[in-house]
Amino acid sequence: MKSSIALAVGVLASSLALAQEPQQPAPTLAANVCMSCHGPEGRSVSPVFPRLAGQQKAYITAQLQAFRNRTRSDPLAQAYMWGMASQLSDSGIDALASYYSAQQPVAGTAGDAALMAEGKKIYTQGILAEKVPACASCHGADAQGVGAFPRLGGQHVEYLLAQLEGFKSGVRANAPIMLGVVHNMTVDQLKAAATYAASK
Amino acid sequence: MNHSSTPRIASRLARLSLVAATAALLLPGAAQAVPSFARQTGMACEACHTVFPELTPFGRRFKLNGYTIDNLPQVSDVTGSKEQTLLLNQLPPLSFMLQASVTSTKKAVPDSAVPGANAQNGQTQFPQQASLFYAGRIAPNLGAFVQMTYDGTAGSFGWDNTDIRYAKNVNPNFLWGLSLNNNPTVQDVWNSTPAWQAPFDQRSATAPSGAAATMLDGGLADAGVAGLSVYGYWNDSLYAELGAYRSAPAVAIPLDSTNTSVVDGVAPYWRLAYERQWGRQSWELGAYGVNAKMFPGGGIPLSGPTDRYNDVALDTQYQYIGDESIYSVLGTYIKESQTLDASAPGTSPDLKTLRVGGSYYYRRQYGAGLGYFSTTGSSDISATTDTNGWTAELDWIPYQNTKLALQYTAYNKFNGASDNYDGTGRNASDNNTLYLLGWINF
Repeated sequence: MKSSIALAVGVLASSLALAQEPQQPAPTLAANVCMSCHGPEGRSVSPVFPRLAGQQKAYITAQLQAFRNRTRSDPLAQAYMWGMASQLSDSGIDALASYYSAQQPVAGTAGDAALMAEGKKIYTQGILAEKVPACASCHGADAQGVGAFPRLGGQHVEYLLAQLEGFKSGVRANAPIMLGVVHNMTVDQLKAAATYAASK
Repeated sequence: MNHSSTPRIASRLARLSLVAATAALLLPGAAQAVPSFARQTGMACEACHTVFPELTPFGRRFKLNGYTIDNLPQVSDVTGSKEQTLLLNQLPPLSFMLQASVTSTKKAVPDSAVPGANAQNGQTQFPQQASLFYAGRIAPNLGAFVQMTYDGTAGSFGWDNTDIRYAKNVNPNFLWGLSLNNNPTVQDVWNSTPAWQAPFDQRSATAPSGAAATMLDGGLADAGVAGLSVYGYWNDSLYAELGAYRSAPAVAIPLDSTNTSVVDGVAPYWRLAYERQWGRQSWELGAYGVNAKMFPGGGIPLSGPTDRYNDVALDTQYQYIGDESIYSVLGTYIKESQTLDASAPGTSPDLKTLRVGGSYYYRRQYGAGLGYFSTTGSSDISATTDTNGWTAELDWIPYQNTKLALQYTAYNKFNGASDNYDGTGRNASDNNTLYLLGWINF
């Protein structure tokens, strides 16, 4: 049985991407697809994938748009979220952001005592000498976030730290304000701040 | 591929002999990771794989979801009440795989025609294997993994691993699905079962390998089967599957005495697994098995006594997936009880296969693996069966879809003995194999 394989992969057209995938309602999409990494109702187990439950709606919206237009390009964003967000419509993004922001956030847990103590200082007072503002001034006294500034409370410490290191190295470049904040901070200070913020 | 397509010596164990005449049938071997899924999902290989073909927890979920997570533009249609009746990727998720290799054994294998002469050692294969895949969603909730592989012996593309799935998320904690496939354990999502077990799943196509293998270990797949199973997955941790296989060689002629190893009726297959995930780690423990009654065929009509095989197996898998380092440990133990009423009446031999392996990858670019394998027969067949040894491997993965592997396999025992196992003075260690593999997927 001879078969000649014409690799007729030449279906070239789709760069236009005119027809975006018909959007399932957000809870269905979240339950069928997003939860594979982000967990049921957005409470993920693995620190590779951020918890979305109770995240600020405007922040989720901004990130999904940043994945879709590829302005957020840290390695895991590229590996996972560029594909995931590529076919989302504006209304789909809005619906997903509404869904996840309405979920019950995970309660934070306290970390190592020394890190917590130093982290609390950085979070509530900043680091005057390095011109680092207090995290609370944007992220809220309880790390709940507001508007486009994300909730940090209840998030995986490892994930927060990865973002802070990403801002510092420039690997994550879709939040210029954060580059200014972390620019002068040491890794230990970042660890402490992340530990405290996540514990709220 | 797992199994060479050259004819094997039929033995009292009723080891399925591969009939070259069924050239159009290409025997399913170890399937490969596929850029088809990367094209369909838009996600990089590392999302679903540690290093191909081993799966991450997300990769396991993607597979159990029927390969349907899809971020390509679609051709779609709905009924008046908005039920989806068509969801077809505008771009087909096609991909291609090419393997080239060099195989060298400590002592050249004997010439197949002239006694006393030797075949060429350092055999180069280009390709060792070439496969075309369609892998991805074909309809709402329905996905397919279809592999067509170039068979050097037949000189044509033939049918290889196929897994067509339907999957439904009932709620965030439970999904269920159906799998139609042609190779028991190809549908499994852990890399500890025979179809996928690293570092044993990549073998030279031409190096000698032990003759005895259980039904689960490719025996049924080599015979040509198709099976349907239903599975459920609870809370990302508990998995249960029940299925049945029937003979279905990929040739369009009635199954009769000219075939070999034909399943009488259906062969039930079962699978249970429990996985726990925490932080960056996961650990799975499971069991699986198959029960088959086979007509030997090969000139004998397909009726009357059958050879019965009952396989029961355990498996376990541990993974740590860090940012820089990835560790995994995989193991399986298969026990097969045979009652050979057809091919060797009055005998009931056993086979036991153990494989344990571990691998380490640094930044998904450099890796090393080590494994131990052993197949032991009961005392009545041990003298021609027992094969065991070690495999060690070094990998370089310059890009996520390319791999260069150097593998060394050392045998303590081969087909029953360490020394002179074949009566012509060949020792087990003469089959020690150095294997260099280049593998690209695109």
